[in-house]
Amino acid sequence: MSYVYYPGCSLTGTARECEESIQSVMRFLGVKWTELEDWNCCGAAVATGVSYLLSLALPARNLALSEKTEADLVTGCSRCYLNLIRAQHYIQHNANLKRDVNAVLAEAGIQYAGTARLRHLLDVIINDVGLDTVAEKVTQPLSGLQVAAYYGCCQGMWTYAQFDSTEDPTCFDRLLAALGAEVVYYPLKQACCGGTLSMSKRAVGAPLIGDLLLAAIAVEADCIVTACPLCTFNLNSFQNEAGRAKGTKFNMPVLFVTQLMGLAFGLPPKTLGLHRNVVPPDPVYRKIAAGAAASSAEAVASGTK
Amino acid sequence: MAVQALAPRSEPVRVMKDPLGNSFEYCYQCGLCTASCRTAFAMKFTPRQVMNLLQLGCEDEAAASGSGMLCTACYSCTFRCPRGVAVTDMMAAIQRLNIHRKHADRDIRRFYLSFMRTVERHGRFHEIEFMTRYFLPNPLLLRAELGVGFHLLTKGKISLNPAGVKNTKAMAAMFHKAEEIEGRL
Repeated sequence: MSYVYYPGCSLTGTARECEESIQSVMRFLGVKWTELEDWNCCGAAVATGVSYLLSLALPARNLALSEKTEADLVTGCSRCYLNLIRAQHYIQHNANLKRDVNAVLAEAGIQYAGTARLRHLLDVIINDVGLDTVAEKVTQPLSGLQVAAYYGCCQGMWTYAQFDSTEDPTCFDRLLAALGAEVVYYPLKQACCGGTLSMSKRAVGAPLIGDLLLAAIAVEADCIVTACPLCTFNLNSFQNEAGRAKGTKFNMPVLFVTQLMGLAFGLPPKTLGLHRNVVPPDPVYRKIAAGAAASSAEAVASGTK
Repeated sequence: MAVQALAPRSEPVRVMKDPLGNSFEYCYQCGLCTASCRTAFAMKFTPRQVMNLLQLGCEDEAAASGSGMLCTACYSCTFRCPRGVAVTDMMAAIQRLNIHRKHADRDIRRFYLSFMRTVERHGRFHEIEFMTRYFLPNPLLLRAELGVGFHLLTKGKISLNPAGVKNTKAMAAMFHKAEEIEGRL
């Protein structure tokens, strides 16, 4: 299996910790890829509000670039994935749209044929690398750590439709369980975090984030694990604002999925970008250390028997 | 046909038609979109009501309500719609009415246009340039962002010299071509 990797803008900027952990963990898992050459912004959640055609042509340019490599196009950003698969889907089902998109792409000297193979990072980890391999590589089991698996919205719907259930996906739970973590029932696992509203309309965005944090506290999660860089950014960066909206104070560690995977693999926190998290993940470290101490004490106890 | 009876008063905006066929005309007002929407609580008109307004030809009223600007494009409504209406794309069409007919709040409008202008110039998002374009006309907005800004800077998450696409001229040409084909709406 050969891959080209599409990082997208947030992973090279505001979500650098996600990018660092993705690279470290995938290297550790032995997945080799090259970066998609000359990639461009997918249009985020903004392009549709300005130009319908550009909201399809921008992602289509990346799809077209990946077609030349004949490799699977992998992205770790849910919004990028959503925009790419939306473009793929719409263009495939509408010849006029394909004509218009290719007329736009012609300005950059490329054409989109429709043969690109798009993959989500979780899809590659779970279905190509496999949960058995992931479990084998664990050197620091996360036993005793209670995690809330937050799938996110565009994740839950468009992404998981490709390799899991649309309304009740479980693949993320299974991945975290393979790391030895205790996955708690998290009722808001697919509720939208508010996306860019946290910045463009905070009065609406902050309570949405507050609800997600309150739900995680209610189910006694030690941390929330996300699969989307924007969710990671929102849930980390606006805990003060969300606390004000909900009349409380939050201090909930929020980790990107590959950050937690890296900890279970025993990779140094610095290579996972954990020093860049807004909410310091120290309680998570302590819980993992406590879990390790408990299980080694158990091993000693059973050894003396 | 009932669908024809519901034909909008004004010329429907071309892009409000779902490219896969199902437009707001198919909506039978069940409200599953509103039930799925996390921001409906803050909307003057909920997604279901917006679909109804479009059926009645009241797209200007729908746009003026600002409901479209609260859509986070999570696609939950679109996925669940029993009539196959691409509700999210309809909400995006309302956003475009807001942005291009200048109904939108000036700051939100600048947020969208600054983002796209930055991508047009570099092919990628460029934090510093975006922030300059967005905040300079209304620096008061910065006050609410100090906390986040401080964090982004101290944690090394804003690159001062980010890369762009190789051929920025071709990127700009793509934007112009799209505008030419669409007539901007």
